[in-house]
Amino acid sequence: MADLLPIWTSVFFTLAIYSFLYKENPWYRFAESVYAGVSVGYGVAFDLRYLRDQWGGQWSSSGTMMLLFGIAVLIGLLWYARFSKQYFFLYRWPLAIIVGTGIGMALRTVIFTQFLQQIRAQANMPLFVAGDMMQTINNILIAIMVPCVLLYFWFTGGTRESAGMQIVEKIARYTMMAGFGSAFGYTVLTRMSLLIGRSQYLLGITPNPPEARMAFYTIAAIMLITLIGYDLYKGRS
Amino acid sequence: MSLLERAQNIDRRWVYLLVWIFVLFPLLNPLGLPIPIGRDSTAWKDYIDAIPNDSTILVSMDYGVSGMPELYPMTVASMKHLWSITDAKNLKIVVIAFWNQGPLVFDTLLSQVDPEADYGMVYGEDWIELGWIPGSETGMAALANDIWAQKPNDYLYSRPLDEYPIMENIRVAEDIDLVVSFETGTPGLPEWLRQWNDPYGVPFIVGCIGVSVPGMAPYLSSGQLSALMPGLTASAEYEVLLNRPGLAVAGVDAVSMSHLLVFILVVVGNIAFFATGGSRRS
Repeated sequence: MADLLPIWTSVFFTLAIYSFLYKENPWYRFAESVYAGVSVGYGVAFDLRYLRDQWGGQWSSSGTMMLLFGIAVLIGLLWYARFSKQYFFLYRWPLAIIVGTGIGMALRTVIFTQFLQQIRAQANMPLFVAGDMMQTINNILIAIMVPCVLLYFWFTGGTRESAGMQIVEKIARYTMMAGFGSAFGYTVLTRMSLLIGRSQYLLGITPNPPEARMAFYTIAAIMLITLIGYDLYKGRS
Repeated sequence: MSLLERAQNIDRRWVYLLVWIFVLFPLLNPLGLPIPIGRDSTAWKDYIDAIPNDSTILVSMDYGVSGMPELYPMTVASMKHLWSITDAKNLKIVVIAFWNQGPLVFDTLLSQVDPEADYGMVYGEDWIELGWIPGSETGMAALANDIWAQKPNDYLYSRPLDEYPIMENIRVAEDIDLVVSFETGTPGLPEWLRQWNDPYGVPFIVGCIGVSVPGMAPYLSSGQLSALMPGLTASAEYEVLLNRPGLAVAGVDAVSMSHLLVFILVVVGNIAFFATGGSRRS
């Protein structure tokens, strides 16, 4: 019985969330609230565990380290000042530190990893790959399409209306539409994969627990009856 | 209202019902559609097979439970693959996470795969789990500088790292020979590249959800990313290559059927739109 409880709970919450597809309802509201509470609790527990490990590691090794740890924790606590109108300004300090270090860290190498390396790769790409016709076609297309898309977003100068630029813009539009189509296809894959993953659990497909299938049929039937019954009752009254 | 006009105003709940049918039917009655092996899954397997002896591998669980349906099958398959060659190649595997639900996902994996019983792995000697590291990109930079300072204890038993022989020579990013990241978003590959690949030259292979693939492709072309496992279908191919069919293979029929449904809906919607003079109206 104790083994079945987590399975039935998991199936119940999965179906309660999916019940939103029918319409907004109390099952969904309950599951949504519980999920929000549980995920916040989980996050706080992990935060506290990290703090405890840090204290036990290097920060309790000397008086200076303890003082620095205390200052760091105090700065962290200033996040909660945003809930007070009187001390709201204090909240800006941890925010400034987070934003400052985050941007500083990213800017340190972003120009190399996401700009120069991409340009270098584009410049070094061979147009003809011996024995691989598909790769050759791909490389030629990339060599044409990338500059066209870059030029598409060039908004200054008088050459934008020229005949050459009209061709470039058309190629760029087709390139971007192909990109959007690819992104849409992959998005469908991801969304469907989510449903498939949960469906595999609900049906108890190995390595998921086989007991989930009975829970699925039972809870789905109860939810459907209550949802449709509630709608009919409301319609009659 | 004609049938074509009604097709454009169909209640979304009928679409949801159709999706459920198209997904559940092949799961209950597997169609056994062929799974052609693609370039990405082959490259992933070949890359792992070619990992040099005595390498140290950092596996990062950068996704939460919401990413499990797509990423969990490839995580299980990759970990089984890695553990199966660990003894022969004398590998060391360190598992971390930059998403706080990453350890939760790995707990699930450990409830289904026993590294010690199935692969003879000794915890603390062949592999170790360090758990979640906060701070996203800043945390990655800090981990690169000093792994022991970021994670003084392991995750599974909360014991100090000096109790585990595996960690003796693993202290900074230079000690890591490969990062294997499974991820759904930020922090993810761009942050890894900025903090580990560019400054320290650590190679990367990434398993990601389908929606991230167009964003990952340029890094694969530029060579910053050594191999990419894009989504559930590639996971299924990988499971076939390893001859260990798992959740991805079981789900690939449903993927095909659900995409077929979306294709049909798009075609029907477009036919109905143009047949009823929709383009003129708009």
